[in-house]
Amino acid sequence: MSNASPLQPKGQAATAPHESCGFQRGLAAPAQARNGATAVGIVFDIKEFAVFDGPGIRTTVFMKGCPLRCQWCHNPEGLSPKPQLMVSTAACVHCGACERACPLGAEVPTGGCWQPKGCTACGACVPACRGGFRKIAGTAWTAEDLAARLNKDADVFRATGGGVTFSGGEPLLQWDFVSGVLDRLAGVHTAVETSGFTTDAVFAQVMEKLDLVMMDWKVSDPEAHRRYTGVDQAPIRRHARMLAAGDTPFILRMPIIPGVNDEREHFETVAELVKGAKSLVRVDVLPYQRAAGAKYDMVGRTYAPEFDEAAAPKYFLDVFEREGIPCQVFR
Amino acid sequence: MTERIRALMHFQWERLHHAARIALPEDLELTYRDRSLPDTLRTALRLKQALEMETPYLFDNEIIAFTRTVPNLPRIFDDAEWAAITEGHFIHELGNVSNLSPDYASVISVGLLAWREKLGEGELHRAMRISIDAVLKLTARYAAAARAKGDEALAEVLDRVPALPPRTFREALQSLRILHYAMWCEGDYHNTMGRFDQTMIPYLRADLEAGRETEESAFELLEAFFLACNRDSDLYPGMQQGDNGQSIVLGGMLPDGTDGFNLLSKWCLKASAELRLIDPKINLRVNKDTPLEVYELGTQLTKLGLGFPQYENDDVAIPGLEALGYDTEDARNYAMAACWEFIIPGRAMDIVNIGALPFANIVDRVLREHLTACRSLEEVKALVREAIFADVRKTLAERRNLYVIPSPYLSLFFDGCLESGRDISLGCKYNNWGLHGTGVAPAADMLAAVDQEVFHGDTAPEALLRAMADNFVGHDALRDQLKYHCPKAGNDDDRVDGLVGWLLDTFADAVEGLHNERGGIIRAGTGSAMFYIFHANELGATADGREAGVPLPANYAPSLNIRLNGPVSLIKSFSKPDLRRTINGGPLTIEFSDSVFSQEESITKVAQLVRLFVQRGGHQLQLNTVNRERMLDAQKHPENYRNLIVRVWGWSGYFVELDKCYQDHIIRRAELLV
Ligand code: SF4
Ligand code: SF4
Repeated sequence: MSNASPLQPKGQAATAPHESCGFQRGLAAPAQARNGATAVGIVFDIKEFAVFDGPGIRTTVFMKGCPLRCQWCHNPEGLSPKPQLMVSTAACVHCGACERACPLGAEVPTGGCWQPKGCTACGACVPACRGGFRKIAGTAWTAEDLAARLNKDADVFRATGGGVTFSGGEPLLQWDFVSGVLDRLAGVHTAVETSGFTTDAVFAQVMEKLDLVMMDWKVSDPEAHRRYTGVDQAPIRRHARMLAAGDTPFILRMPIIPGVNDEREHFETVAELVKGAKSLVRVDVLPYQRAAGAKYDMVGRTYAPEFDEAAAPKYFLDVFEREGIPCQVFR
Repeated sequence: MTERIRALMHFQWERLHHAARIALPEDLELTYRDRSLPDTLRTALRLKQALEMETPYLFDNEIIAFTRTVPNLPRIFDDAEWAAITEGHFIHELGNVSNLSPDYASVISVGLLAWREKLGEGELHRAMRISIDAVLKLTARYAAAARAKGDEALAEVLDRVPALPPRTFREALQSLRILHYAMWCEGDYHNTMGRFDQTMIPYLRADLEAGRETEESAFELLEAFFLACNRDSDLYPGMQQGDNGQSIVLGGMLPDGTDGFNLLSKWCLKASAELRLIDPKINLRVNKDTPLEVYELGTQLTKLGLGFPQYENDDVAIPGLEALGYDTEDARNYAMAACWEFIIPGRAMDIVNIGALPFANIVDRVLREHLTACRSLEEVKALVREAIFADVRKTLAERRNLYVIPSPYLSLFFDGCLESGRDISLGCKYNNWGLHGTGVAPAADMLAAVDQEVFHGDTAPEALLRAMADNFVGHDALRDQLKYHCPKAGNDDDRVDGLVGWLLDTFADAVEGLHNERGGIIRAGTGSAMFYIFHANELGATADGREAGVPLPANYAPSLNIRLNGPVSLIKSFSKPDLRRTINGGPLTIEFSDSVFSQEESITKVAQLVRLFVQRGGHQLQLNTVNRERMLDAQKHPENYRNLIVRVWGWSGYFVELDKCYQDHIIRRAELLV
């Protein structure tokens, strides 16, 4: 399963194999070096005191770029791997200052809060906005700098059993970089929040390197999976089985979307996947909240789910109860 | 919660007792407004009249009695007299004794009659006798009313206290209720109930040991007492409703050096969480060894959005107070005056909020007047230091010939007043004055910005001053640079945190060795009270990129409208300075969305965060859970809420950045939370 030595302790550099990802959808992955030492990663947020992302006091790093296109995605700025403009359209007062500052000029009018087609994320309009309603989401970090930023609070992490979580986007899309950061963290608990959509070799490394893996299980039916997430389910299913058979502590997370996966069979599939897994921490049930689309406008996208947003998602916790599977509902 | 408490709470919640309130009669004879009567006697006679006008009012199933029915209190002086007094004196706030911590415990334990026996014939003693008799008379009328209602148990309690020492927990609580009630009726305000758990624990323990009460029945008594604290709180003077200083202190070191957190401390936290009322406000004294479980109990309250407990760190406060000259056993016994100033129960007539040092305004003025002539930050700092020293002296010079309206009744609760015949308004063992320090974070941000952009960057001082004069209109790039790309206090950045420490140290240096006219010293602090509003109004655009009109932060907090890394950096930043030297009071405030608490494990995490602050040497911390009202205000004034974080779904975001429909959604969700 893993091509790293089983004798190698966690927290030490594993040799990253060169993988052809195969799911890059034409995305230009950031420059990566063999051991992550000089790699640059694109990060769209760093959040301290992320209380829902693992044990203790921890900081979550949001890595930019994701191969999936889940219809309910609530972090649209995490989709593109490149830095991009974000505008707080809700707060914008339509003063037009940003438009005047933009080198694209008035040739590409978009009206409203000036999110022109062909925006190069040059950032010239950002200082022009008095309210601070514009920002460039996505900052390049070297592994050294990011690790230093995170290690600054290592004492706090250690004192509380906390640490660092990599989320996204899909953090494994920049695995070489993430791995390089992990190698530089000063003995703190580490976790990842992933869709599981990666190669088996990368996933094996993830299981070896991280103290906790939080993986989504989105849609059980393979056909529906492709329809609602845009990608093949097969690798994700393989990785769920790897988790269940392995000894890396893991949490399976179920976003519950009304009319998409709020069915008993879905819960039964999950129960079947994790039953007897000795390293399962719990299953997280995350019922859909209507605010999922809040940020689409800010990145100039339209939120157009094919399911009924207003319907109350159903969940079937009795399935887990019966099997003695610990679970937690995030309302 | 018992049925009986639920019923009392409902009664109170529906404000049914307000129907018994009566206005002052138009033709009320103010006999004490007699020019030949000294002020001390006037106060006593007014208390007598106020208590005589009260009609005993009992709730059904009353447990802890005494309810105000006459809300208003005439002044003891007529307008001409008061004008003459204010002409020649410095008057603090409304002029009454306020923001102190009366030593109720000592009086409760021996009873008012024992105190009365010690009284002789001097003016203060006469006034004290009038006051005691008035309190006991009203108590007797309450006892009769209880009897008439067939409530013999209550009548017996009122037969006993506050005249005599309590025999039970209930009697002790009732005694405190009466004594504190009469304090308001004397015209004093913002005086705290002090170390409530220490005052009451002997009575509770004795009852439990003797089997007179079960844990459940004793807990019911405690809740009834808390309820009673909320009956009249709308009548107390304050800036906002609820700003009434009716607080208690829990836990903390005892004068003998042992730790005071006891069963009742824990019960108080639980009762407050169950009742969810604004009074009494809770201060929780902690230290580096306080177990996480205590913080977790506190956090349960935070989660409810009550805005308390506020935490005080013994490890910082006690040595800080000792260094200011408070005796060790007094320093260990500190309580909180009104909001957040450290005060010694029964021994201090400190005026903890006599003025404020406006850090931000001082730095701003120095920059405007001298930046072009300065070649380094050190030169600027030298001028700031001079200005801080001058401001402190000026404030002090303006506060001469203080007059405080006497409070003979309240003097019963202060060491030495009875013995010396000197009213508390004239002084006590400690007569220190406290100065707030407003806007220290923006002041440090300004210095850091100037250092980076002017002394180490390519911004000409003239260009910066021009941009400030123009309120940054037409200087967007510079404003953006100052606001978002310079070090900010609160982001765990030593370059600016060091400046916060330096400013606070300078403040402490400036007050060192100074004395007020009563021989007391001057205490430097980190609080703001309402001063930060006044100070912000006097400011134009500032060198930290802040535009004119943007408010200054309250108390000891980062600038508004900046980008913060988050709570961990915030706590690290604000625990760096040596806060023992600026221990007048003034907390760091952190706000959470109530959605942070949607999972039980968040309680532990927030508790860990608080403990982190304490263990790193922070002095005082207050946490808010942001609720619907604030979010509604944030919709109207997004500029003031840039750092308001709400949890939306699997992620948290900045509230002001969300589309209106989603904001509305979250507000609606908040409405559903209890
Ligand atoms: S400058 Fe800011 S407020 Fe003005 S239109 Fe652009 S985004 Fe809106
Ligand atoms: S970031 Fe985009 S919108 Fe802003 S100035 Fe550059 S190209 Fe124009």
